[in-house]
Amino acid sequence: MDKTAHSSSDIKTASQAALLSLLNLTLLPIIAFSALLWIYNKTQPGTIARYHAELGIKTNLFAAIALFLVSALMIAFGGFDSAWTWVYVISYFTIVHTTFIIFAVWALVRSWSGEKLNKLM
Amino acid sequence: MKYKSQAVAKLYFTAAIGLFVGQILFGLIMGLQYVAGDFLFPEIPFNVARMVHTNLLIVWLLFGFMGSAYYLVPEESERELFSPMLAKLMFWVFLVAGALTILGYLLVPYATLADITMNDLLPTMGREFLEQPTITKLGIVVVALAFLYNIGMTILTGRKTVINLVLITGLIGLAVFFLFSFYNPDNLVMDKYFWWWVVHLWVEGVWELILGAILAFVLIKITGVDREIIEKWLYIIIAMTLITGIIGTGHHFFWIGTPDYWQWLGSVFSAMEPIPFFMMTLFAFNMVNKRRREHPNKAATLWALGTAVMAFLGAGVWGFLHTLAPVNYYTHGTQITAAHGHMAFYGAYVMVVLTMISYAMPIMRGNKANNERAQVLEMWSFWFMTVSMVFITLFLTGAGIMQVYLQRYSDAPIAFMAAQDKIAIFYWMREIAGLVFLVGLVLYVMSFFVKPGVKVNA
Ligand code: HEM
Ligand code: HEM
Ligand SMILES: [Fe+2]
Repeated sequence: MDKTAHSSSDIKTASQAALLSLLNLTLLPIIAFSALLWIYNKTQPGTIARYHAELGIKTNLFAAIALFLVSALMIAFGGFDSAWTWVYVISYFTIVHTTFIIFAVWALVRSWSGEKLNKLM
Repeated sequence: MKYKSQAVAKLYFTAAIGLFVGQILFGLIMGLQYVAGDFLFPEIPFNVARMVHTNLLIVWLLFGFMGSAYYLVPEESERELFSPMLAKLMFWVFLVAGALTILGYLLVPYATLADITMNDLLPTMGREFLEQPTITKLGIVVVALAFLYNIGMTILTGRKTVINLVLITGLIGLAVFFLFSFYNPDNLVMDKYFWWWVVHLWVEGVWELILGAILAFVLIKITGVDREIIEKWLYIIIAMTLITGIIGTGHHFFWIGTPDYWQWLGSVFSAMEPIPFFMMTLFAFNMVNKRRREHPNKAATLWALGTAVMAFLGAGVWGFLHTLAPVNYYTHGTQITAAHGHMAFYGAYVMVVLTMISYAMPIMRGNKANNERAQVLEMWSFWFMTVSMVFITLFLTGAGIMQVYLQRYSDAPIAFMAAQDKIAIFYWMREIAGLVFLVGLVLYVMSFFVKPGVKVNA
């Protein structure tokens, strides 16, 4: 844990990026993502800020696919007027959405201490 | 253990775990009755099993809270408990009163129980969670007062910490709101209205303070993070709890005959209730990430993190799911409610009590942490119980969605029992998940008896 390796402004940007990633998953979809892209453009490769901006973008793209595409497919194949479709879609959406949120919370906490998700990655 | 009077907590924790086992057995009985209606009839009818299941839950959680307070308050106050004798005496009073009440439920018809306990004099019986005979309720008040006196005197004459103050505020609130269980207006709207002052203002108000205080205490101990940082978080969490939770009571006043404005107030404020639970997750993750030491009690750390995540999931997410009036219009009183009730109670209050037990019990038994094998078994039990509770919740959610659709949403709605028939498959799966939960609970109990392995670490 060599925290000194990152400057405090770098950690601040990393924290902002991680917060935006979490916001995009919760209160401010799309708006937060745009801000995240903007922050990404300001970061330098190899910094902790770039790492968290990139992680946030990937997380949210992946979440968008996992949540909207998969749910849409479930509805397309299951049929809009079937109770079973909604059993699967609502349960799936809720649990997967929450999992992404919990993941983003962990990423946020790591960014606060200027760290990557774990020491190896 | 810093103070020897903390040891009274051991009694309370032991009783809590014993009653927990009872609670789950009755849950399983009911789960089976859902699909095989005459199982154990007429010996244990569904309504009786339900009463025993929910009342045991409340009583063992109260044992857990009291035990936690008896352990935590002396340590925070830096002095012995005001009166260990009183704590022991009240333990036996509460245990005997609780046991007699449960036996009363099981051995005589509820109406007879009401008669012999003279419910007529001050009728309080017959409402969900508050089914106890009036004399039991009075007993609970006596135990609660003696408990608050004991804890209060310890705090007043000792070091005052934020954790102690938040805890005692929560405990006083618990006692005060319980008093509304004695108020039983004839008007059904008023009756339901004040019933929620106990039930809602407990779990989404004052109990959250107790939860926050216990979690903060354990996190300070296992992470070694500065008290000042943890206290700041605790302040914000309880402020958010009270700001959202008090008016949030309105999410129970949508359809019971109360004024229309509750649909707005209840929806808006309760929609913000997940915030304090969310912050607890953030708080617990942050503290564990910033930890300054590796505490040997890995199991307690797991329980603490588990509480934060599962409380957010059960109360925050599953609560939000049905809290907006237009949604609740369809889901009110369905299996969605039961799904949420199970995960929220387990994730928040069951788990925080088990967190405290996991941290304190080894210390009271003379070790900083349990031996490695015991901890491994305890962690297995964590995963068995937690994962099976997630499945119980998912199956009940599935049952609930199907129920809403068939019975309330579709163009050709079908009757309640016809809908129940069509969702029996979910109830079977819930029962199987419940059996897995029981396996986890048995492993949990066993973990207290595991001896260290032959391997000796230097
Ligand atoms: C740990 C905290 C919580 C616990 C233990 C808990 C438990 C429960 C239980 C047992 C019920 C069923 C009561 C009954 O009708 O018998 C219930 C109902 C309800 N809860 Fe919670 N809850 C918690 C937090 C929340 C939160 C944070 C929200 C909102 C975001 C929420 C929203 C609701 C709603 C809307 C109902 C009424 C359901 C209906 O209309 O049938 N709960 N809760
Ligand atoms: C620690 C674990 C558990 C907790 C905290 C818990 C809590 C509760 C609560 C709060 C209620 C009232 C729900 C409401 O009013 O909506 C309830 C009812 C019930 N529980 Fe549990 N329970 C647990 C485990 C189980 C298990 C393992 C089973 C069975 C597999 C079970 C089966 C039931 C049934 C069948 C009901 C009655 C639902 C109804 O009235 O339709 N519970 N439980
Ligand atoms: Fe509520």
